Amino acid sequence: MSMRNEVKLLEKTDRIATAVARRAPSPVLKAPRFMLSDHALPWLAPLLAVLLVFALFPFFYNVWLSFHEFVPRKRALEFVGTANWEKLFADSRLWGALLITLIYTAVCLTVQLLMGLGIALLLDSDDPGFGFLRGVLTLTLVIPPAITGMMFLLLEDAQFGVFTYALQQLGILGTAPILGTSSTALIGVMVADIWQWTPFMVLIFLAGLRAMPTEPFESALIDGASSWQIFRRLTLPMLGKVIAIAVLIRGIDLFRTFDYVYVMTSGGPGTSTYTLSLYAWQQTFSFLNWGYGATISLFSLVVILLVANVFVALTRLRW
Amino acid sequence: MIQSSPSKRIIRAVLAWTVVAIFAFPIYYWFTIAFRVEREIFELPPLILDWTFSGKSFQEVFGISFGYDGGTSQLAGGGNFYMMPRLLDSVIVAIGSTILTIIIATFASYALSRMRFAGQHHFVFWILSTRMMPPVAIAIPMFFIYKQFGLLDTYTGIILVHALMNLPLAVLLLKSFFDDIPSEIDEAALIDGASRWLIFRKIVAPMAIGGVAATAVLCFIFSWTEFLFVLTLTQTGLKTVPVVASTFVTSTGTAWGNMAALGVGAMVPAFIFILMVQKNLVRGLTLGSLKQ
Repeated sequence: MSMRNEVKLLEKTDRIATAVARRAPSPVLKAPRFMLSDHALPWLAPLLAVLLVFALFPFFYNVWLSFHEFVPRKRALEFVGTANWEKLFADSRLWGALLITLIYTAVCLTVQLLMGLGIALLLDSDDPGFGFLRGVLTLTLVIPPAITGMMFLLLEDAQFGVFTYALQQLGILGTAPILGTSSTALIGVMVADIWQWTPFMVLIFLAGLRAMPTEPFESALIDGASSWQIFRRLTLPMLGKVIAIAVLIRGIDLFRTFDYVYVMTSGGPGTSTYTLSLYAWQQTFSFLNWGYGATISLFSLVVILLVANVFVALTRLRW
Repeated sequence: MIQSSPSKRIIRAVLAWTVVAIFAFPIYYWFTIAFRVEREIFELPPLILDWTFSGKSFQEVFGISFGYDGGTSQLAGGGNFYMMPRLLDSVIVAIGSTILTIIIATFASYALSRMRFAGQHHFVFWILSTRMMPPVAIAIPMFFIYKQFGLLDTYTGIILVHALMNLPLAVLLLKSFFDDIPSEIDEAALIDGASRWLIFRKIVAPMAIGGVAATAVLCFIFSWTEFLFVLTLTQTGLKTVPVVASTFVTSTGTAWGNMAALGVGAMVPAFIFILMVQKNLVRGLTLGSLKQ
């Protein structure tokens, strides 16, 4: 009760103080006039300007484009009504691409989340050498995914690849090439993604872990809690929001994955590594079906929006 | 931190070094490819420790010889392949877009953290949703806008599109860092008659510097490694490292040594940037101590 009163009082003084401050701006620092207000809009204005021009325009352009199609013969766009959307729902390659994208996202996200959490817990120590280890792990992130793709292309090469050689020696892999066989190609690509982005999860989780107060953990230890109990009842709940945001951001990026499949397999063999982003790219640039490419992109956006909304609702994320 | 028994600490250290070594292996191997004699790239079984050093690939890509004096060779792409100007392009784009993103995002996330308004949750979700479009779907409209306004092949153009790409992430992260700073501090300052601008400039932004540094590192990395936008929005002018790398794959085969040399060389500026902000980064990672 008293807490609530205090908050109310604070809010009131807040308003009064702001009013005072507005009348008598501080002489110490010259501020842009519009920034003196207590309204959010001036602060958000630059962000809004960028997003309206560079995000909203592409969106509406794609909507417009999805009702048109490029006619190479005339070198012009023609209105085709809902033809692209009708084509979309009858296109079995599209549904195949959606399935592959979903598998890719789900597997990579699960592995990156679990490994990221495990490694973050492992590296969360002040013992000598751990700072160095954390630094080394960030190295994977500064390599462009296009180059990472090339790297794993060499590592998984059917003849000279180190991974291929090691797996063959262990008897896990036959003579079939990893990236040239439809049953293993997707795994081959996912390994590159997991290698590159697990450290991203580790970094974010470490930031969360290192920011935690130590008292609850000390008192839990004194009360004789086991490591598992501490993890389950203290660490995990306190890390909850960080985990949710990391999963959301990574999930979105995984769903739009392009560089790895583009560089490593170009969707092959067959259609076994065809993701939605790659399919949209190919329709646009290889087949010059600009309208259909835009339709696929919008379809992909709708799917992510749906999944992300469900995720936010389930995790009760509030901003 | 809580002290645990020596045996547990040893087990933890062994595990940690093993895991990091596994993750570091591809980088190590890539490094050896960049510096080994060309014929050894295709040796079976693959050479992991006993490879022969050669500065040839690095000399061809960056013009730094490391003792190699085989002269300037002509690569499949034609002409000298000195990549220094391309590396500079990458640095300018990455630093430019990082600064722009951070400025815009700190303003916005301060407001989102401190001032409540109707529909805020949905507004933040909308910001996030701008990252959900497949990159192709943004690249094509951008191409037409840029062509119209002469932004193709310009630093400004690429910096803007990379800022757009990074803003949702930056706003979300910075907001969570600002949320960690108790708002009582703001309130006290407000009572003392400080304006929001003053509080932002003199109190909250400096306190969140660690979080800002961490966000800057991520923005830099995302811009540094971005491929598709640069591929579509540049023609002959500037090229960043990932796009140059793709030109090493030719119909006559892949120039693995050169590709690896480029990959290794490209890690250096990014790592220097991370080291530069590292001091602040550590503070960002222990930000929560403020609460105690």
